Amino acid sequence: MIRVESVLGSRADAALHDAIHHLEHHGEVEFVGVAPADLDRRRLLARTDGGEEVAIALPRDQKLYDGAVLVLDDHRAVIVRAGAQRWLRAKPASASDALELGYHAGNLHWRVRFDGADLLVALEGPADTYAARIDPMVSAGRVMLSEESE
Amino acid sequence: MNMQPGVSISSSSRVGAARIGIGGPVGSGKTALIECLIPAFAKRGVSLAIVTNDLVTAEDAERIRRSGLIDPARVAAVEAGACPHTVIREDPTLNIAAADELEARFSDVELILIESGGDNLASTFSLDLVDWWMFVIDVAGGGDIPRKNGPGVLKCDLLVVNKTDLAPHVGVDLARMERDSAKARAGRPLVLTNCRAGQGIDAIVDQILAKVLFR
Repeated sequence: MIRVESVLGSRADAALHDAIHHLEHHGEVEFVGVAPADLDRRRLLARTDGGEEVAIALPRDQKLYDGAVLVLDDHRAVIVRAGAQRWLRAKPASASDALELGYHAGNLHWRVRFDGADLLVALEGPADTYAARIDPMVSAGRVMLSEESE
Repeated sequence: MNMQPGVSISSSSRVGAARIGIGGPVGSGKTALIECLIPAFAKRGVSLAIVTNDLVTAEDAERIRRSGLIDPARVAAVEAGACPHTVIREDPTLNIAAADELEARFSDVELILIESGGDNLASTFSLDLVDWWMFVIDVAGGGDIPRKNGPGVLKCDLLVVNKTDLAPHVGVDLARMERDSAKARAGRPLVLTNCRAGQGIDAIVDQILAKVLFR
């Protein structure tokens, strides 16, 4: 088991880039897949794509992110690869529908962001469980839904 | 430190105690569960501190302080004042401050249990506050609770179905409640407990040791 107690930096950092690039040429870079919902955790048990277990315990002022370098030595690098965030795009048919949609999103504590007149809901589970919460609006054609990822 | 020669990056911060949340409806047995967990963790050599949340009193904290199970100074009380879920999710500042203070006062603390005020099935914890959290429901609250698919039941790291001993007295089919819970959890962890008899407590401790303390 690899124990990690700090993020060394981003793989894009100039100070780390050359060393990682060198290890990549020798096939000595491993990745740890982390689901988007788990990126906020300070403690996490994960596994590299090489199969080794990684026990991550970070200080409270540090966070995981895509490209976070967890291990870097002469022999290997271990880097976080964040899973793609899935979004549910909700397109309201009118301003009043947008108001009602916004109310529901707030009441349901959904994580959202805005894209023009559309509301994007961060999905942490099946899209249909989110759609079910606003089914009267969807069924009446007052909100159109589509799923996308980034 | 795992570093490439010539690469110099340092972090001045340190890894503190692990923090776990214990949420669930009013009366589901969260405080009783903590009273079982304290000696169970002591047996495994884990140094604990506890934060309790109540609406406008410090009743749960006082109960644990008077239990004789733990140094009363290691128990802090947060009075939520309003919605209990607000102080564990939307703005957990009070709880973070309480945990920080316990950690500063007791440098050996390895694990801080943060008990939410009794809430409803929609309550969840912010991962800014805790590293891992469990949600406690109970048999006497109704065998249909797992089928309601509340976010607390679905999203927690461990679902605890408590008071299994009461099933025959409240007309609940425990086997069905367990099946419904497993279905709602879709393969994620679930433990049945009877705090009066200490059943299921070691299974919870095992989960926390493995997934949070990495032992």
